[in-house]
Amino acid sequence: MKFFLLIFKNLRRNKLRTALTALAVGVLVFVVTMIWTVVYFLENFTKEKSGNLKAIVTGRYDIQGQMPLSYARDLSHGAASRPGDVVPAESMAWQFYLGTLDPQKRTRENMVILVGMDVHQLPTKVANTVAHKGIIDDLDPIDKELVDKLAETTHGCLLGPKRLKTLNKKVGDRFKVSGFQPAGIDLEFEVVGVLPAGRWDENGFMNARYLNDAVDKFCKEHPASKPTLDQRRIDMFWVEAGKKDEFPRLVEQINASPLFQSPPVKCETFASLVANYLDSWSGFIWFIEWVLVPGSMFSMVLLIANAISLNVRERAKEMAILKVIGFRPGHLLGLVLGEALLLGAGSGLVAGGLIYWIANAAVGGITVAGSEPFPVPWQAALWGAGVGGATALVGSILPAWTARSLQASEVFARVA
Amino acid sequence: MKYDLPPWFSAAAPPAVIAVLIGGLLLAGKVPLTYNLRNLRVRWKTTVLTALAFTVVVALLMAMHAFSMGIRRLSEESGQPANVICLSDGASDEMYSNLPLSETSDLARQPGVIRGAEGRALCSREVYIMVNQVMPAVEGARPKHRLVQIRGVEEPDLSARVHGLELTAGTWFSGAGVQERSPGSDGATNASPYALVEAVIGEGLARDIGSEAGKESLGVGDVLTIGPREWVIVGLMRGPQTTFGSEIWAKRQKVGEVFNKDNIYTSIVLRAESPAAAEELADRLSRDFKKSAVTAMTEPAYFAKMADANQQLLGSIYLVSGIMALGGIFGVMNTMFAAIRQRTTDIGVLRIMGFARWQVLLSFLLESLLIAALGGLAGGALGYLVNGVTTTSVVGTSGGAVKRVSFQMIVDGNTLAAAVLFTLVMGLLGGLLPALSAMRLKPLQALR
Repeated sequence: MKFFLLIFKNLRRNKLRTALTALAVGVLVFVVTMIWTVVYFLENFTKEKSGNLKAIVTGRYDIQGQMPLSYARDLSHGAASRPGDVVPAESMAWQFYLGTLDPQKRTRENMVILVGMDVHQLPTKVANTVAHKGIIDDLDPIDKELVDKLAETTHGCLLGPKRLKTLNKKVGDRFKVSGFQPAGIDLEFEVVGVLPAGRWDENGFMNARYLNDAVDKFCKEHPASKPTLDQRRIDMFWVEAGKKDEFPRLVEQINASPLFQSPPVKCETFASLVANYLDSWSGFIWFIEWVLVPGSMFSMVLLIANAISLNVRERAKEMAILKVIGFRPGHLLGLVLGEALLLGAGSGLVAGGLIYWIANAAVGGITVAGSEPFPVPWQAALWGAGVGGATALVGSILPAWTARSLQASEVFARVA
Repeated sequence: MKYDLPPWFSAAAPPAVIAVLIGGLLLAGKVPLTYNLRNLRVRWKTTVLTALAFTVVVALLMAMHAFSMGIRRLSEESGQPANVICLSDGASDEMYSNLPLSETSDLARQPGVIRGAEGRALCSREVYIMVNQVMPAVEGARPKHRLVQIRGVEEPDLSARVHGLELTAGTWFSGAGVQERSPGSDGATNASPYALVEAVIGEGLARDIGSEAGKESLGVGDVLTIGPREWVIVGLMRGPQTTFGSEIWAKRQKVGEVFNKDNIYTSIVLRAESPAAAEELADRLSRDFKKSAVTAMTEPAYFAKMADANQQLLGSIYLVSGIMALGGIFGVMNTMFAAIRQRTTDIGVLRIMGFARWQVLLSFLLESLLIAALGGLAGGALGYLVNGVTTTSVVGTSGGAVKRVSFQMIVDGNTLAAAVLFTLVMGLLGGLLPALSAMRLKPLQALR
C-alpha cells in the first residue's frame, strides 16, 4: 500500500508532465479504441448467433440480389415440395424504395429509405403485451392500432424519429419522393406514425402494395421496362424456421430448389450475408487494424518512454537516496513501471469512458460509411485501460531498467 | 486539380518550407541557433524519441492521404470530359439504371453525337453488373468473397475508344462472345462440347486476381469462374487510373443473359465534340428525349459523385490524423517543458546577455520546430514510400452504390502539403506554451 501511495505521490509531484503524458496517451487511446469499436461492431455483426433460426434469401450473383414477385409464394413455403420438407414458421418479403425529396439536391438529408412489405408482419403490441412478434427482432413492437392504420392508408409510411426530424416532417404531413431505386417511380406519402427509437431511427416502412401498384403503372406506361422490373421486385426474403434442427434443412431446401433458377437465389444467415459483403473491404480493414492501430500504439509507446525517461533523469538523485536507504533495484524498477502503468491505464480508462459517453450520449452512436449509427459497448473503457496500460508498460521498460541499474555513488559524484 | 508536380519539387518542397520558416525565424529573432542545436544534440535520446512520434504520425497521415488522393485521381480521370452518360430517369448510378433496349436505341443518332472515321457514332451501349464472387477457399474455412464489376458492351473497340481505353494484350472478344471448347480440351472434364464466355480484363483487376493465384497477373487464356459461367480471358485492357481498369468486359448479350439483364442497358455513353458540347447534349437529352426518360450528365459530373463520397473519407482521415497529432503536440510539449525546467539557468544567462523575451520565446519555439521538422522529414520520407503503390479498395459512388477499384496511391503536392502543415502545426502548438513559459521567466529568478 505504501508503495502504491509512493507511486501516486510521484505522479502528483510534476502535475504538468503527468497531465501532458496522460493527455497524449488519452488521445491516442481514443483513436485506437474508436477503431476497435468499429471492428468489434463489424465482427459482432458477422458472428453467427447460436440458436439463430432466421435466414435471408437474395439473388445469388448480382450484388443487388433482386428477385421476381413470383418467388414470394414458393419461398414462403420454403420451397417445400416433398412430404417432410420444412415449411418456414414465419416469412416476409422486403422491397426497398429509395428516393429523395429534392431530385436537384440529392443529399443524405433529403433521402428516404423505406422497406415495402406486408405491414401486418411488423412486430406489434396491444397496451404492453406483444400481439405479434414477427421476424424483425431489432424493432420494438409498434402499437397494433398504428400498424392497422398504416395498412389501411395505402400511401402511408412509418418513419424513424431521426429521419422525420432530418426531413423536418411530422405525423400527418405529406411529401413527394422522387425514386431512384426503383428509378423513375415517384410516390407521395403520408406520415402515419413514428417508429420506436433505435435501430430503425433513420428508415421506415411502407405498404408493398403501394410500391407494386406504382411499378405496375410504370410498366404499363413503359412496356419495354416491364420484363426487367418484373424480375427485380423483391430485394430480400426472410424465412424463419420453427425449430433449431429445421433451420439447416430449410436453408438447404431453398438453395437446392429448382424453383428458383432465373434468377438463381442463395439462402444464408444475415451474419453470413454481411460477412460476404464486407470481404471486399478486407484490405481497408486490414490497413486500419494492422497499420493505423499499431502506428498509434507505437507513438504512444514513444511518448510514454520519453516522459518516463525525463522523470527518471530528473529524479536520479532521489532514486540514489532511495537506494541508500534500502530500496532494492527491483523496488525502483517496480516504482517506475507502476507509475507508467497507473498513468497509462488511468488515462486509457478515462479516454475509453469518454468515447463511450461521447459516442452514445452526445452523438448517438458511431456511423461507418453511411451505416446506421451503432453504440459503443461499455467494454470500450476497459479496452482503453488495457491499451493505455500495456503501451505504458512497454514504453517504460527501458527507463525503469535505467532506474534499476542506477549507481548511487555515481549519481552523488556527479552532483558533487 | 493538377497532379503534374515534378518529382524533384515534391521531394524538395517539405525541407524547403521548413528551411524557409526556420531561416525566417532566425533572421527575425537573431536567436542563438547553435545553442538550440547543441541542446538537441546533448539530449539526443529525448530529441529522437519525440521526433520519432512525429515520424509515425506524419507517415500514417501521408499513407492515408495518398490513399484518398489515389481515389480522387481515379474519379477525376475516369470520366472523359466530352462524354455524356445516359441513365434511366432518376437513377444516380448505373447499378440502379434500367434503360429498355428498344426505347433508347436511337440515342446514338441524336445531334451532337460525333462519329468516327468509319461513320459509326461514338456510342457505347452497356450493361453493368456488380457480382459478389466466391473465392476459392481452404477446406473447412469460410469462403471469402470479392466484388467483381462486369460490363457488357456491344462493340468493344468502339466502347474502348469512347472510354479512352487501349488493348495491351490479346484481342477483343468475338462477335459471338463465346469460345467453343471440345470435350477434354485443356484438361477439362466436360463430356460434351461447352462454351466459355470471352472476356477482356482490366490490367488492375488482372493483377489483383493474379496475385491471389500466385501470379504477377492473369493473362490471355486464363479461365475464371464468375457467377454460373466460366470466362476465358482473350485480352487485357489498360485504363490507367480509371475505374474501367478494374472491370471485366464481355459481350453485352452474354452478360445480360448470364445475369438476368438481357432486356436492358444500364448506361449509354455518347461522345460529343467538346466538353461544352457534352454539357449541352446532356442538358438536351435530360430535357427533350421523350422516348424513354433519361438522366444524362457529363462523365466528369457522374464520377464527381465518387469524389464526393471520397471527401467523407478524407474528412475521416483528417479527423483521425488530427487526434493523433494532438498526441504528438502533447508529447513535444512535455519535452519542451522538461527542457526549460532543466535549462532555467541558461535562460537567465541569455536574458542577462541581452536577449529579449521574444528572442527567448523564438529560441524555444525554434527548438520545438526543429524536433518537429526532424520527425516530419523522416515521416515524409517514410510516407513517400507508398507513392505509386497499387492497392485495391471498394469506394462508394452515389446513392449507396459501390465500385471495387484498383488504383495507385499518390503522394502529390496535396499530400506533401498536408504532411508539412501537420508537422509545423504540431511543432508550433507543442512548443508555444513551453516557449511562453520560458519567455516569462525573470532573469534573476531564473539564475537563483
